[in-house]
Amino acid sequence: MAKKRAAAKTASRRVGAKRAAAKRVAGRTATKRTASTRTTSTRASGKSAAKRKAGAPRRRGPRSASDRVAGLLIILPWLMKRKRVRLSTVAQQFRMSEEDLVADLQMAAVCGVPPYTPDALVDVFIDDGWVVAEIPKLFSRPLRLTSAEMYAIIAMVEAAQRLPGATSRSALTAAVTKLKRLAPDPDETAVMIDLPKDPLLEELQHAQRESLELRIAYFNPSRSETSNRTIRVGKIFSERGHWYVLADDEKSGAMRNFRVDRIQSIDRTGKVYDQADVARRAESEADRDWFGDSLETVTLRVRDDASWIAEAYPTVSRTKNRDGSIDVTLRITTEHWLSRLLLRGGRNATVVSPAKYQGLTAATAAAVRAKYR
Amino acid sequence: MTTLKNPVPKKVNAAERMLNLLALLSVRSQPITLRQIRQELRGQYSDNEQASRAQFERDKSDLRDLGIPIETVVLGGDQAGETAYKVTRNNYELSDANFTPAEVEALQIAAATVRLATSESEVALWKLGAERVKPSIGPRVTIGFSDPYLDVILDAIAKRAPLTFVYKGDERVVDAYGMLARKGFWYLVGFDHLRKAQRVFRVDRIEGDVEVGKPKSYTMPKGLNIAKAVPTDRQMMAAGDYEHPTAKVLVDSTLVRNVTREFGREAVVRENPDGSAVFEVPCSNNYAFRLWLFAMMDKAVVLEPQEVRDNVVRWLDELTEGA
Repeated sequence: MAKKRAAAKTASRRVGAKRAAAKRVAGRTATKRTASTRTTSTRASGKSAAKRKAGAPRRRGPRSASDRVAGLLIILPWLMKRKRVRLSTVAQQFRMSEEDLVADLQMAAVCGVPPYTPDALVDVFIDDGWVVAEIPKLFSRPLRLTSAEMYAIIAMVEAAQRLPGATSRSALTAAVTKLKRLAPDPDETAVMIDLPKDPLLEELQHAQRESLELRIAYFNPSRSETSNRTIRVGKIFSERGHWYVLADDEKSGAMRNFRVDRIQSIDRTGKVYDQADVARRAESEADRDWFGDSLETVTLRVRDDASWIAEAYPTVSRTKNRDGSIDVTLRITTEHWLSRLLLRGGRNATVVSPAKYQGLTAATAAAVRAKYR
Repeated sequence: MTTLKNPVPKKVNAAERMLNLLALLSVRSQPITLRQIRQELRGQYSDNEQASRAQFERDKSDLRDLGIPIETVVLGGDQAGETAYKVTRNNYELSDANFTPAEVEALQIAAATVRLATSESEVALWKLGAERVKPSIGPRVTIGFSDPYLDVILDAIAKRAPLTFVYKGDERVVDAYGMLARKGFWYLVGFDHLRKAQRVFRVDRIEGDVEVGKPKSYTMPKGLNIAKAVPTDRQMMAAGDYEHPTAKVLVDSTLVRNVTREFGREAVVRENPDGSAVFEVPCSNNYAFRLWLFAMMDKAVVLEPQEVRDNVVRWLDELTEGA
């Protein structure tokens, strides 16, 4: 035991005094839990809850005691189940800095029950870059799932089950059954994720799995034209209710996003491609801003039944005016795209700037009107 | 070992004290009083009676916030009136789901495929003994989960506690039945006491605070399907009182696939040699119909009924003249 303690100490000295304010999921748990316990007949203020919310940049400074305990009560049982895990792996998994993790594990290692003799302490130590937790004495069982956690994971897994081409379907079904047994109300599906369906999804997945090059006819609504393209699938993903495929596009020689429901037809070219290379390029592309900042920005004033425009697209800025209208600034891909938006917005969507687009609604309406002669 | 009786340093931090308190309360078979706790955790709580009481209350409340219920018992006999505390591990620990390794892996892949951008889903995975993984292949979905009220609402649904909030200018009291994520938005389905009917609310349109009422105030309606309770765009187009329930629309060949996907093969009334097709679609809700129609711009033309066609022409003329 003495040796173990020494090892933990060495590790902590090695990491030094640098304390990065790492994003800590463990910490977030604690604060969020606080928000939900306030729910019994008290007001959960939106603003303050939002401040503590996941994804929000964490305040720099020491982590609270309750944050650290909440984290440990999740990390310790997880470790004891695995017995030996690389320190760097644990830190990565729990989105913590190694120094915070070491500090917390070291603290846990001196906790236990009186008389605090070695055999009455939490059995965890750090040994040459590995975290070791072999004897599950204290804090060996995880905490129960909160209702939000339970609903979240069941909704996720059930949505994944409904996707075409899911692998190991039987194992997943068995897992869901066991998972639901832990839920307070196993028969009830109170939270659902509705994913768009598309008959072409399966073929695209197959092409990705087998690295098959495809030839597609693609309708581009921003230009209102259909073109034939040769693509190599890098990534298939869904966002805001649409499926997209990020693919290496032969025509442009770059990675491009295609909306799956705009693909008119798919054929295989018979060629195979280097999946790893395309996937890597897809990954680096996915991190980039979709539209970049080279695109033109337009400010629209929307009100009443056109207010949805302010919510339906990523916006650069949004300002609410005194009369209830909203000035929304967005980046536009093409003039055609803007004209479509304006036609749909009707009289309750007007162009504030640039002035050159102020006649666009009328011109678009006239073009459509021509179809009714 | 006698010399090691109290090796705990004088100064321990609050996190350490909380862990020790939890460990102590969970290993003891009998409830123990604060006096006994202070004795056992010597040096960890303040020597000052009042200060140590405050520290203990804070620890107790923090642990409860973490989902660990601390039971209290008022003692009798020679300790009459004194409060004793206890933690029962079965009341807060997760019972073992006994997942097989294959099931854990399936869960991990599922969670990586449909990702909820929230800490809840990650914490749930860890508690179940699984881990975050990054899949190399296959479709991926990320569902935003960043609204400040989502976890409050989920908790209320689980507890059957009614919610009070302002929506479209009115204060609503809603028995929350469930939530649906669709097309980038979260919807709340519940019984609206103001309208005295089941209603759907966009969570991001809730104004101001959400107040949560008494648990177990209502029961869930039997056989409720949350996905079906939230109308789709197509259902919205049919949800109106316009005298013409449907319209026939000529759709350009480039968009035939999309419209078929949306309304099904049964909506096709004619297929033309040039690839275009005529669809019969609901138009009872004028506004929803117009949004749908104009999204196709000059690639869709209303053929009949004449009145609907006239309406479209009027809308277009208004926009043309408005310039």
